[in-house]
Amino acid sequence: MKTATLNKSDIGKCIDLLLQADLRVIAPRLQPQVDEDGPDALEVLTFTEVKSGEGHQVGKGLLPLNGVKEFLFAKHEPLFAYEKRGKKIEIIPVHHEYPQTVIIGVRPCDAASIASLESVFSDANAGFEDPFFTERRSRTTFITYSCTAPDSSCFCTSVELSPDSAKGSDLHLTEIGDGRLHVEVITKAGEAVAKQLQELLKGEGDQATREKAGAEVTEKLTRIRDSAPIMDWLMDTANFDDEMWQRLGEKCIGCGACTFVCPTCHCFDIVDENKGSKGYRVKIWDSCQFDHFTLHASGHNPRDWQYKRYRNRFNCKFKIYPEKFETPGCVGCGRCIRACPVNLDITEYMAEVAHKATNPNAIKAE
Amino acid sequence: MSNIYQPDLMTITKVIQEAPGIKTFHLKFQDEEVANNFSFETGQFGEYSAFGAGESTFCIASSPTRPEHIECCFRETGKVTAALANLTEGDTIGFRGPYGNTFPLDDWKGKNLIFIGGGIALPPLRSVIWNCLDLREQDGRFGHISIVYGARSVQDLVYKREIEEWNQMENVTMVKTVDPGGETDDWDGHVGFVPHVLENDFKPDPENTVAIVCGPPIMIKFAFEALERLGFKQEQMVTTMENRMKCGLGKCGRCNIGSVYVCIDGPVFTATQLAALPNDF
Repeated sequence: MKTATLNKSDIGKCIDLLLQADLRVIAPRLQPQVDEDGPDALEVLTFTEVKSGEGHQVGKGLLPLNGVKEFLFAKHEPLFAYEKRGKKIEIIPVHHEYPQTVIIGVRPCDAASIASLESVFSDANAGFEDPFFTERRSRTTFITYSCTAPDSSCFCTSVELSPDSAKGSDLHLTEIGDGRLHVEVITKAGEAVAKQLQELLKGEGDQATREKAGAEVTEKLTRIRDSAPIMDWLMDTANFDDEMWQRLGEKCIGCGACTFVCPTCHCFDIVDENKGSKGYRVKIWDSCQFDHFTLHASGHNPRDWQYKRYRNRFNCKFKIYPEKFETPGCVGCGRCIRACPVNLDITEYMAEVAHKATNPNAIKAE
Repeated sequence: MSNIYQPDLMTITKVIQEAPGIKTFHLKFQDEEVANNFSFETGQFGEYSAFGAGESTFCIASSPTRPEHIECCFRETGKVTAALANLTEGDTIGFRGPYGNTFPLDDWKGKNLIFIGGGIALPPLRSVIWNCLDLREQDGRFGHISIVYGARSVQDLVYKREIEEWNQMENVTMVKTVDPGGETDDWDGHVGFVPHVLENDFKPDPENTVAIVCGPPIMIKFAFEALERLGFKQEQMVTTMENRMKCGLGKCGRCNIGSVYVCIDGPVFTATQLAALPNDF
């Protein structure tokens, strides 16, 4: 593998070089989230398109609020336009721009989620390819950045990842001290980007220091470490009716925040946005936590209680994704924990399931 | 770039009011090439659009042995079905499909078939009923065919003319019923819920027989239980699921029962397959 070093202070210059090469660049920035002009504008770390290398937050802060999902799987995607003319309908294709894009400053958990989304939207899933996703995916390069300061919600090491993992990365950066970064070229797309940055990349990297730095950060993550028994336990359908689901899921208020910030949640709705005789058919993000999500026309609802909807989400992460799509459903980013208004913590479920799985004779809680 | 979400356009060539709030459309593709390339098998479904309102999921209610047009049958219950119900002959709708798996007709060769349906669940069965009747006519590949169908009331029965047609056919037993209170003075069928009539009045012999059940989840449950008491084994019982869907392509994430997606792994399942799934339907 090709390696190099890069000065941390040159990341702004990297962004400028990529912009000069006519690439769209997306990087973490502090973005006002309330009122842009107000005195108390709350600035939140967010992945956003940047027009210069100034003000980027690559390697600073922890996780941008939004992850990279929305740049591959749009929140609001017009699929086509239609126009009614008497009894006839005309379908008009919508022109989409798919610019060659580099997303820089992606954390390892987010990078690992890309393969999961791909397993749903690519033709590997039942032979149906969602071209809106795959067109974007094929034109997006990910420059990842090892974590240095995970917080108490992070649990990537519980899902077979690590804060310095290069899984899903094209070009991977790790801090190795003295304001330097170890650069790893992982893929051909990463190599192409490295070429654009050639003037800033120096000599060879320092693999030993990089490994050591990664291991030190990994030590900081102390949440449960073995999620292997979770899937086995979920595979036993009798456990679908375990008392745990209702007990732990009762406090869920069904707001769906966890699903919107989750890098692997992929549920969507298809709706018509109509005005007069014209309109668009649109694919929009949806959430399995909403009560009408599975509601039948007859009034029957297979998931009629909130705990059943939460149970579905947990199963989706730790059973459905790995079983059906053969990719991880959870990358341990912890966004669902940070976003939850009632402090529902997915790792509490993981710990309880892991405990049940490894102690099959434990007496069930009353 | 092929857009999997873009429907083909179809013209409504005929509208039939089956029952209060329930309509059948006869549909033909507007594009000749699409029409020539289209084929489906019984059990499959489609996404039907009323432009301006959205898409709804219905089975293809006609038989592939009668390919001159396709049919769908729906009850007006929400935004899309209300918009569809407002359309008339000559209007255009969108269609994506066919999607999903099919009834395993090859496994049924030489066997007696019992179709059991309730209310608006007859349309999916109607496709496979005509398919089996037409094939039996051709080469006698199935044994006796029985149809047990019921609705809330006499007026809620769909395909009333075809029920009479099946009633007149040799080698077909037509058992019709309405829920208690739904009968009229001149009603000549049974009175009682479908699973009850199946078990106590019709009492089919499980020997060399397959039962195909379609209905709301609660009816499927009770019909399967009745069949088991009659001596049917799980592998002799087949159903088709009607979970809510949006894409039909295994992507939008709402029709799953555990790791099984009804849209791509179903909608046709045997009772054996359903029994292995988590209790989420």
